[in-house]
Amino acid sequence: MKRSKILAAIAVLMLVIAACSDTGGDDDGETTTTDATGTTGGGDGGGDGGEEGSKLDAVKEAGVIVCGVNETLPGFGVIDDEGNYSGFDIDFCRVVAAGILGDADAVEYFPLSAEARFPALQSGEIDLMIRNTTWTAIRDGQEGANFLHTTFYDGQGMMVPAATGFTTLEELANANICVLSGTTTELNLTAVFDSRGIPFNPIVFEENTQLRPAYEEGQCEAWTSDSSQLAAFKASIEGEGGEDQFIMAEIFSKEPLGPVVADGDSAWAQAVEWTIMATVQAWEFGIDSSNVDGFESDHPDVQNLLGAGTDEATGLGLPADFAVQIISQVGNYEEIFNRHIPAIGLALEGTPNDLWTNGGLQYVPPYH
Amino acid sequence: VARPPFWRDIRVLRVVGQVVATALVVYLLWWLYGNLVASFERLGIALNFDFVTSQTRFRIPFYPEFEPSSPVWQMLLVGIKNTLLASIVGVVIASVVGLIVGVSRLSENWLVARLATIYVELFRNIPPLVIIIFFGFALFFFGPFPLFAESWELSIGGNNVLILNKDRWGVPGVTQTGDLLVFWVILLVGNVASYLVWRWRTRVFDNTGAPHHRLRWGFGVLLASFLLAYLATGTPIEMSWPVISDDRRLYEGGFAINWGFISLTVALGLYTASHIGEIIRGSILAVHSGQSEAANALALSSSQRYRFVILPQALRIALPPTINQYLNLVKNTSLGTAVAYAEITALTKTSIGNGRPTFQSIVILMAVYLVFSLVISFILNIVNRRFTLVER
Repeated sequence: MKRSKILAAIAVLMLVIAACSDTGGDDDGETTTTDATGTTGGGDGGGDGGEEGSKLDAVKEAGVIVCGVNETLPGFGVIDDEGNYSGFDIDFCRVVAAGILGDADAVEYFPLSAEARFPALQSGEIDLMIRNTTWTAIRDGQEGANFLHTTFYDGQGMMVPAATGFTTLEELANANICVLSGTTTELNLTAVFDSRGIPFNPIVFEENTQLRPAYEEGQCEAWTSDSSQLAAFKASIEGEGGEDQFIMAEIFSKEPLGPVVADGDSAWAQAVEWTIMATVQAWEFGIDSSNVDGFESDHPDVQNLLGAGTDEATGLGLPADFAVQIISQVGNYEEIFNRHIPAIGLALEGTPNDLWTNGGLQYVPPYH
Repeated sequence: VARPPFWRDIRVLRVVGQVVATALVVYLLWWLYGNLVASFERLGIALNFDFVTSQTRFRIPFYPEFEPSSPVWQMLLVGIKNTLLASIVGVVIASVVGLIVGVSRLSENWLVARLATIYVELFRNIPPLVIIIFFGFALFFFGPFPLFAESWELSIGGNNVLILNKDRWGVPGVTQTGDLLVFWVILLVGNVASYLVWRWRTRVFDNTGAPHHRLRWGFGVLLASFLLAYLATGTPIEMSWPVISDDRRLYEGGFAINWGFISLTVALGLYTASHIGEIIRGSILAVHSGQSEAANALALSSSQRYRFVILPQALRIALPPTINQYLNLVKNTSLGTAVAYAEITALTKTSIGNGRPTFQSIVILMAVYLVFSLVISFILNIVNRRFTLVER
């Protein structure tokens, strides 16, 4: 008797669960189909459905953007003494929030490890990710990720204690080399060393918080990572009274870092893309946070960007004054860069991150 | 007797209840799977396992034999091997230390009993991950050992028997210098012979009561067969002593044990030992006090009392819960990634980070641990059944 009661209870519980999941299942099924037609660019009917399902509307509704970030990378994303997130990548989360929602503070930061980042993006836990993530073909293809305008052109380098006097990779034959797991750095390291026939032993850590003491205490002879990260840690180690560090001149990979959104939602992707690009466009026009109020120009593109010119809607789903909000609340690209990056020992001038008119790679499509 | 209506018939209800519950579970799983497939389709992610045959393209820490051009499944095999290695060594440490601690907790020596209690309370109440990181940091990062290039070399008769540093310890190993097939065949025959001799001595003991000396006889045969095999095949294996290379970065010869492995196995061994110690203590207390009183009455010494009377009974009680601890230890090796030990979880994470599909990789990982655990509990359950006291 007792047993059958328990069984009955389980059965009822199952029914309840099934009932709940049933409705959930139907809802999901509907969204899936509309989204599928939306992405394949199928019939006209898919149009409104896709619009409805866009993250852009969901974000506007929620009034906050969930932004996946790295909170352990000096210069790009750290938690400061007051518990606030700050850094180059963090500022671009703020740019998106200012552009789309009109409030740079309407961001909910979601710290992510290197391995957890793509599942978080795929599952929709985060709206976008700005987390020093390299744009690669396999990520674009297999991870369902959509990479947007590159905010930082980086490349992999090698750091050794200055006292060793090493200046080339060849001198690291048979050495232990510290590397962070779940990053493209491992593949680049293997590729460059193997192609030159240099034997090495990788020491793979999951967190920089473990890698750094291992490197400082001599568990590995060298540390390889994106050169921006190495510069940041060099500054940090030397600043805290550690040994002098040396970053080798050789850069052995291309690491374009930028914001990422999930595949299959072009309305959301375009909105984020244009808010990010507005910072570069503003820089090119010479608009910054100090002069954006009442900035005068006869150039129609400038008027368009600042929302003061024609009333023509761009159809991007952004407010007319989105660029003004971005520049006044966060700043243009140059301001954001200079706020965070020189502090870790990297300059803007003469690097690929400079504006195209100065010989750099920062180039955005015209705003008209 | 009139049968009740079917909705009140316990026999019908039982069957219906189970069928309904099973159907619901199956439906739930099916729905979850369908949901997953639909989501992956929407994101344009493939849901297959083709990636296991693609190139790995990264190197494995402390495993120079592995070529980055090898397929992913070979990388996974290396991970499985490393996990097994850490598990076996961890289990040995946990069993030995656990037994000592368990017995010590019941010691009449005040100091020994208190020390054992402190040990148990310390290790049992700290999460294993913290212990692992602590060992990695305290022993190696900030520990007393020198850099690899300045290793402490302990040599006897011109051969290094132990090399200590903060990177990887060198110990003597063996290298193969000739064909080993005949050697293994002779050794196998020796094993069988040793088993037969054991059976024979047991029979002699059972029949005549003469001392069996099974251990002496068995190992004697084993050793003799080893020597025979070794000499008959022209000494095909040699000791290999660890030597540090001229550039002071590599070992030539010997066997290297890396710091991640040491930290992981020692930490997990000691952690699990605190639990096993408690199991042993409880099992000893569960042996009826009449047993030790009887042993005392027979004037057995304290160690004889433990060896012949109490432990054989206590260990039978201890075996099932200890199996659980072994399983936990195996699963806890997945924390090895904290000390850069390349076990299966660490390698899977690396692989995921380098663009392998997350979901499928995790499915493989789960399957590996499931097989590990099932095989271990299967074997140990057989052992358990074999050792259970047959009550008449």
